[in-house]
Amino acid sequence: MSLSLKRIYAIFLKDLKDLSKNLYVSSIVILPLFFAIMYSRIDQPTIEIHYLIINLTLVSITATIQCAVIAEEKEKNTLRGLMLSPATVLEILTGKSFVSLVLTAVTILVCMNITGYMPENTVFVLIAILLSCVFYLGLGTLLGLVTRTVVEASVIIMPFLFLFGFGSQLQGLTDQYSILAFVNYMPNTQLIEFAHKVEDGLGFADLWSHLLIILAWGVAIGILTIGVYRKREMDE
Amino acid sequence: MENVIEVNKLEKVYGTQTALADVNFQVKKGETFGFLGPSGSGKTTTIKILTGQLRPTSGDAQVFGHSNSALNHQSYRQRIGVLTDNSGLYQRLSIYDNLKLYCDLYHVPVQRIGEVLQLVNLTDEKKKLVSKLSKGMLQRVLLARTLLHEPDLLFLDEPTSALDPANSKQIHEGLRRLNENGTTVFLTTHDMSEAETLCDRVAFLHKGKIKLLDEPKNLRRKYSDSTITLELKDGREIVLPGGSEGADVVYQYLSTNQVVSIHSNEPTLGDIFVDITGRELV
Ligand SMILES: Nc1ncnc2c1ncn2[C@@H]1O[C@H](COP(=O)(O)OP(=O)(O)OP(=O)(O)O)[C@@H](O)[C@H]1O
Ligand SMILES: [Mg+2]
Repeated sequence: MSLSLKRIYAIFLKDLKDLSKNLYVSSIVILPLFFAIMYSRIDQPTIEIHYLIINLTLVSITATIQCAVIAEEKEKNTLRGLMLSPATVLEILTGKSFVSLVLTAVTILVCMNITGYMPENTVFVLIAILLSCVFYLGLGTLLGLVTRTVVEASVIIMPFLFLFGFGSQLQGLTDQYSILAFVNYMPNTQLIEFAHKVEDGLGFADLWSHLLIILAWGVAIGILTIGVYRKREMDE
Repeated sequence: MENVIEVNKLEKVYGTQTALADVNFQVKKGETFGFLGPSGSGKTTTIKILTGQLRPTSGDAQVFGHSNSALNHQSYRQRIGVLTDNSGLYQRLSIYDNLKLYCDLYHVPVQRIGEVLQLVNLTDEKKKLVSKLSKGMLQRVLLARTLLHEPDLLFLDEPTSALDPANSKQIHEGLRRLNENGTTVFLTTHDMSEAETLCDRVAFLHKGKIKLLDEPKNLRRKYSDSTITLELKDGREIVLPGGSEGADVVYQYLSTNQVVSIHSNEPTLGDIFVDITGRELV
């Protein structure tokens, strides 16, 4: 299957223009920046703190903005037009993911600068964050597709904001409460463990299992999202 | 002539509700086909099936020789234009930017924007934000958008509902010009006069079935009772039967110079609809 870059780029440009005039959605960028500035006052922030901010960015920007732009397409009846055009599912969803992806990249870079995070191995960290982005983009798209309005979308994303933004903190409780064991396998927790190992100078042999788990989350949500999209394409 | 759309024994059931019971019709290449019926009769459902947004419960809908299951293919979508009854535009973008996106989606050069805007009479407005447009303008932008890629077949779901007569007329003129250039148009409406002015043939849909299908002028002739109405100078209106009996009376009034107007009583499509279904078209 061939993707039309022209279509993807057109959707990206449209979203960029649209979002630049949408204060309600773009103001969410402030959240991770606020945390970054607060924590930058600490001497020598730990990996936990750096990744609290990175995970928060992934869920509050990557997923939330993605969710909002998809929900808005539904609310304003514009998604139907895209679906009825010759653009394929992948072209539409890729095009619609780029704006959140660019905003994510910029925010993470700015936050890393503020908190002074310099990974031991930038390439490894980049790969892990990109893989995480696939999951969060899928999550945002999925939630956007199952809601009808932007307001509904901003409510439904809340539990995920806490779970994936701050949920890794629950790791300390997993010994006491065994039902919380799943926290160890959440993509945000995996990202932190991965980052610790990178700082310890470990190589790919010790890192791949974390990447695999994050990838599995991405693949699972991707399949679910495309399924829901196809449902929406039909009926309604 | 070649058929663009062929529908056979089409049935659609939503849960327990039957929207389409047994629908059969063909649309010929180049014609404007009117699909008429009251609210809830299944017009939108039919369009959704024909445009690949809905699977029929049973039966067969073929367009350009593609069967049901191929109606969501890219190659098919490139050939059709769809104006649904709830199409939307990007509110924060200008008319031009909205159309530019669709040029790229359909791989059409941006020069087409000028052409379609001329067709719907919005050339001077292209820089305007969509959020600042009136309802009539919005509808015309949507129509322009469906025309960008010069579709061979247009599906229009109530294109002029909620428009004032002046705006409707402009859209009608645009549609007639397209039709002259060979575009096939499938149009739903509950506006009888719209169907009369635009359509080569009309189908009456009622309770999920087609009750009648013909050219408007044939229908009028068939359902005409061939009476004549005379309007007289003293304000009276008298209805006369056709034939020599009526002709004598007309002659009398005419020769004594009492007549203001003479009308043959052709039924409107609306009258025919009521006749067939016992229901008003609303
Ligand atoms: N998604 C759906 N789920 C359940 N029933 C539906 C659905 N869509 C339509 N219907 C029912 O199917 C019937 C036909 O609806 P349809 O929208 O095709 O009518 P219509 O002729 O377009 O009416 P209108 O002139 O009001 O637009 C209606 O009784 C409607 O309630
Ligand atoms: Mg309808």
